[in-house]
Amino acid sequence: MSEPLIELTGITKVLKGQSEPRTILDGVDLTVREGESVAVVGRSGSGKSTLLSVVGLFDRPDAGRYLLAGQDISRLRERRAAKLRSSHFGFVFQRFFLLKHLTAAQNVAMALVNGQGWPRRERRRRVLAALDQVGIAHLAKNRPAKMSGGEQQRVAIARALVRNPRVLLADEPTGALDTETGTLVIDALLGATENGCGLILVTHDRDHAARMGRILDLADGVLTERVPA
Amino acid sequence: MMRLSGRLRSSLIIGLQGIRARKLRTLLSMVSLFLGVLAVVVVQAGASIAERALMSDLELTNGIDGTRVLDMPPNPQAADIVVSTIAGRSDAVASMAASAIIGEPGVQPVNPGGSPMDENWGSSSICYPDGHCEEQGGPKGEAVELRLTALTGDIRAFRPFRLQSGRWLDFTTMPALAPRLVLNREAAKGFEEHHVPAEMRVGGAVHDVTPQFIGVVDDGDPQPRAYVRVDELANWLPPGGLADPNTGGEMRVMLAPSTPAERVLTAKLRGAGVETYLSTVDSRKERGKELSLMRLIFFSMAGLVLLIGVAGILNVGLATVGERVEEFALRRAVGTPRSLLAGIVLAETLLTGLLTAAAAIAASAAALKVVSTLLGDSQPLLHDVQFPWEAGVAGIIAGLVAGILGGFVPALRAAGIPIATVMRA
Repeated sequence: MSEPLIELTGITKVLKGQSEPRTILDGVDLTVREGESVAVVGRSGSGKSTLLSVVGLFDRPDAGRYLLAGQDISRLRERRAAKLRSSHFGFVFQRFFLLKHLTAAQNVAMALVNGQGWPRRERRRRVLAALDQVGIAHLAKNRPAKMSGGEQQRVAIARALVRNPRVLLADEPTGALDTETGTLVIDALLGATENGCGLILVTHDRDHAARMGRILDLADGVLTERVPA
Repeated sequence: MMRLSGRLRSSLIIGLQGIRARKLRTLLSMVSLFLGVLAVVVVQAGASIAERALMSDLELTNGIDGTRVLDMPPNPQAADIVVSTIAGRSDAVASMAASAIIGEPGVQPVNPGGSPMDENWGSSSICYPDGHCEEQGGPKGEAVELRLTALTGDIRAFRPFRLQSGRWLDFTTMPALAPRLVLNREAAKGFEEHHVPAEMRVGGAVHDVTPQFIGVVDDGDPQPRAYVRVDELANWLPPGGLADPNTGGEMRVMLAPSTPAERVLTAKLRGAGVETYLSTVDSRKERGKELSLMRLIFFSMAGLVLLIGVAGILNVGLATVGERVEEFALRRAVGTPRSLLAGIVLAETLLTGLLTAAAAIAASAAALKVVSTLLGDSQPLLHDVQFPWEAGVAGIIAGLVAGILGGFVPALRAAGIPIATVMRA
C-alpha cells in the first residue's frame, strides 16, 4: 500500500463571528494516499468546501492534527502555507476562474508565476504538457471567451496540474457543466491520479462520485465512509 | 537577490497585463494624475528657468560664480601696475571707470550725475587731476553723462554681457585713435532720445575726444555706461588718470579662479602699498534662501494638485481591486504570496504613474518649445529656453510617488483578500 499523502486526525473547525459558534467539522479523520481518488458528498452547507479549505491550506483547523506527506502542518505561517499550496496542491473550482484577458496558455502559466523565476522555455514546456494532458493543447492561444464551458474547465484543470501537484482538490468541478462535458472533466481528473496524484472530489453528482476509489459522507461535521453496496 | 528580481519581474509582467486588460481604467487614472504631475513639472521647469534668469542677471553685474574679484581704491600707481601686469591676458581683466559727458560742450547734460535717463540726480560736476571740480552749469543742452569703463581685455569671460546690436570691443586689433565705445542699454536709450555731437569729455583728459559707437550690450546696469579699450583711451588719458581719486574713478580686477596672475598682481600691489580687497563671486549662495523659499512655495502648490491626482489613482485602484477580488483570491490559491499580490497592484499603479509622468514631461517640453518659439523674441526670459532636466526628474519622481501613494492602500487590500472567496463563489 502506498504512503499516506494526507492524514487528518480529529480536525475540528468552528465558524465564529455569528450569534452562536457553529461547528462545521467535528473531529474529522481522513487519509488519502498517492494515486487514490476520494469523493466527498453531502448536503449543501454540510462543510464539504470547508473541509477542502482546510486540506488545501486556505484555512486553519481549530483543533486536530494535519500531516502532509508525514510532516505536521497543523500550525503553519501564511508564507509557508503559500509555498506548500503551490508545490503540493492543485485546485479546481466549480467556476473556472479563468482571467478573460489571458489566453489558455497564459491562464495555465499563472500557476507558475509566483516569483520562483521559472525559465521561459521550461514554463512553456510545462504549460503545453498540462494542456496536452487534458486534451486541449490546440486551444493554447485561445482566450476563454472563445471556449466552451468544458474546455474552460479543462484549462482550469491544466492550471491545477501544471506544477505536478501531489494532491488535486476539486470543488464541484462539474457543477456548471452538462453531463457529457462533466464526464470528460472527471476523466481528465482521474487521468491525473494515474501519475500518483491524490484526488479529493467534492460533488453532488452520484455518478461522478461512484467513479472515485472511495466515497465519504459529510453530515453535521462528521465524516463517514460509505460502505460499497 | 535572484528571488527579489524574480518577484519584481513577475510583478511587472502581471502588472503590465493588468494595465493592458483595463485600458480605459488606466486612462482614467492617468487623466486624474496627469494634471498633478504636469503641475510639478511646470513648477520645476518654471523655477529652474526663473532661477537661471535670476542667476544670469546676477552674472551680468556681479560676475560668474567662482570669479575672483580684486577691488582697490583708485590710485594712479595701482592702475599702472594693474595694466602692465594683466594687459593681454585672458584669465584676468581690469576695469577702470571715470565720469564722461558726450555731447555739446558747456551745457548741463540731460541726465546730470550720470543718472538713468528717466531719473534726475541733480547737478553734476567734472573734476580734474589738480583736485578742482567744475559744476556743469549752464543751459540744459544735448549731452549725455555716463560712466566710461576702460577694459584691459574681454570682460565677457567674467560678466557675460548680452549683445543687443552692433559688435563688442575687439582687443586683437590695433588701437584706434578715435576710441570705440560699446554702450549699455541705458546709455543707448539716452543717445536714441537725444541727438548729440560726437564729442566726449572725460574727467582728467586734457582734450575732448571723438568717440565711435560700435555696439550696444545689456550689462544689467541701470546707469548709462560705455565700455572702451584701455589702450584706445590711453591716447587721451593715461590709465593713471582714470584711476585718479579726484575724478571719482573705480578700479576692479576680475580673475579666473586659481590664475597665477592673482598672486603676482597682489604681490606687486602689496609692494606698492596699495590696499586690496579680494572676494569670490558666489551669487547662488547669496540668493540661496530666496531661491529655496520660491521653490518651497511653488512646490507646495504643485504638491496639492498632485494630491488630487493621487486621490484619483487611489480611487480607481480601490475600484479595480474590488472588481478583481476573485482573481487575487485565485492567485493566492495557486500559491502566489501576499507580497507578490501587493507587488502586482503597486506595479500597475507605478507603471501608470510613470506613463503619466512621461506624458506630462513630453507635453511640458512641447509646450515650452512652442511658447519659446512664439514669445521668445518679445520675452527675453523665454528666448531659446531649453526644457530643464530637473523638471524631467521632478516629473518622474512625482509619478513614482503618486504611484506608490495611490497604489499602497489598494495593494494592502489585494494582499488581504481571503482565498476562501473562490470557494464561496
